[in-house]
Amino acid sequence: MASAAAASLIRRLTSGDHKALGEFYDLYAGLVNGLAIRILRDPAEAEDTVQEVFVQVWRQAARFDPSRGTPEAWLCTMARTRALDRLRKRTSRREEPEQEKPGASPAPRNEEALAVRRALDGLPPEQKRALELAYYEGLTQTEIADRLKEPLGTVKTRIRTAMIRLRGVLGPAA
Amino acid sequence: MIDERKLDLVVLAALDALDGEDRAAFEALVAKDPEIQREVAAYRELVGRLGTATAPVPPPAALRERLLRETRPAPAARPLAWLSPALAAALVAALAGLVVVVAQRNAARREAAFERQAAQEARQVAQRAEAEAAALRESLAIEVAFRELVIRPQSRVVSLAGLPPAPQANARVVWHAERREAVLLASGLAAAPAGKAYELWIIAKAAPVPAGVFQVDAQGRAVFRLPEGLDFAGVKTFAVTLEPEAGVPAPTGPMVLAGAVS
Repeated sequence: MASAAAASLIRRLTSGDHKALGEFYDLYAGLVNGLAIRILRDPAEAEDTVQEVFVQVWRQAARFDPSRGTPEAWLCTMARTRALDRLRKRTSRREEPEQEKPGASPAPRNEEALAVRRALDGLPPEQKRALELAYYEGLTQTEIADRLKEPLGTVKTRIRTAMIRLRGVLGPAA
Repeated sequence: MIDERKLDLVVLAALDALDGEDRAAFEALVAKDPEIQREVAAYRELVGRLGTATAPVPPPAALRERLLRETRPAPAARPLAWLSPALAAALVAALAGLVVVVAQRNAARREAAFERQAAQEARQVAQRAEAEAAALRESLAIEVAFRELVIRPQSRVVSLAGLPPAPQANARVVWHAERREAVLLASGLAAAPAGKAYELWIIAKAAPVPAGVFQVDAQGRAVFRLPEGLDFAGVKTFAVTLEPEAGVPAPTGPMVLAGAVS
């Protein structure tokens, strides 16, 4: 959903239009905050992450490349990177964070988000679990194997199979 | 065709989940294989999209204020001392400004510990100082980028003269065709009316190509870094027109500046 509105806002941000930042924030702050909360499970730390992401948007809007994905994907990449950095800096990491209950969370915001959600929910549970440990907890392949008490080769196969399937189902971004 | 072992590396790299020998193996592989580079980019984009499935949670209203306060551009004009030995002096002065600003903020914070009344004022001072420091850092970054552009031997410069709607205006564009980087410096322009902005155009053989919109400061000046990746091949003229502030794909408004490339 690289909407014309988002594209125009990014152009204005690139030219240093400060008002555009507020409008861009209004469109996407919920998305960034939701992802940061999902990763950090701490509203205060999530807020700091949101702040950092939008300051980065303000300083580096020119680096956004529409040929490499939607503004949403760009924001999610920045939010995930920063949230995982914070997670790794915590002295003690909780071993088993509560898992998201299927169907418990509110509906995502648009068709693209809904399609991604459906594609993720359509994965076999063991593939989804391995992918989530990498995506939301930032674990490496070896850490995932340890956590799941599975051989490394099994973990790699699960994640590869899951990602190929997601790519097939979702196709290129709209 | 990429085999399963390589695809494992690609997919896990896109998730930043590689470690140990696999990480080294991937780095060796990606350095020399364009197909692997394309696949990693595609999977990284897919990883970016995964985040959109997370349910949105609106942050507290105060966060919006904090963001806008901390990013607000400083009202002071950006120094225009490029292309001259004064550049070094400007950089030094800006750095000294940063030090003073940080010192002021620290002093304000110490005071805040003693009195509640003072704490309120100190917070405001600190916020202003932070905003100014951020703006100075931003402006320094642009200056450094500009200096790097100017010292490259392949960079070219063209002067743009003010046309009848803006006879006092003048500008320069410095560009590096191969690196596809450019900066425009303008002065003597009136502030664009509400809802309008200045738009820069690259004119080669065919129709003018939009090269970004910009605004001028209170002194009528602008330092504008063009979006990366523009094509400067065969450019004959740079021109600036007054357009709707979001920019338009082809010029519609009056031309205020133009300069032919010799």
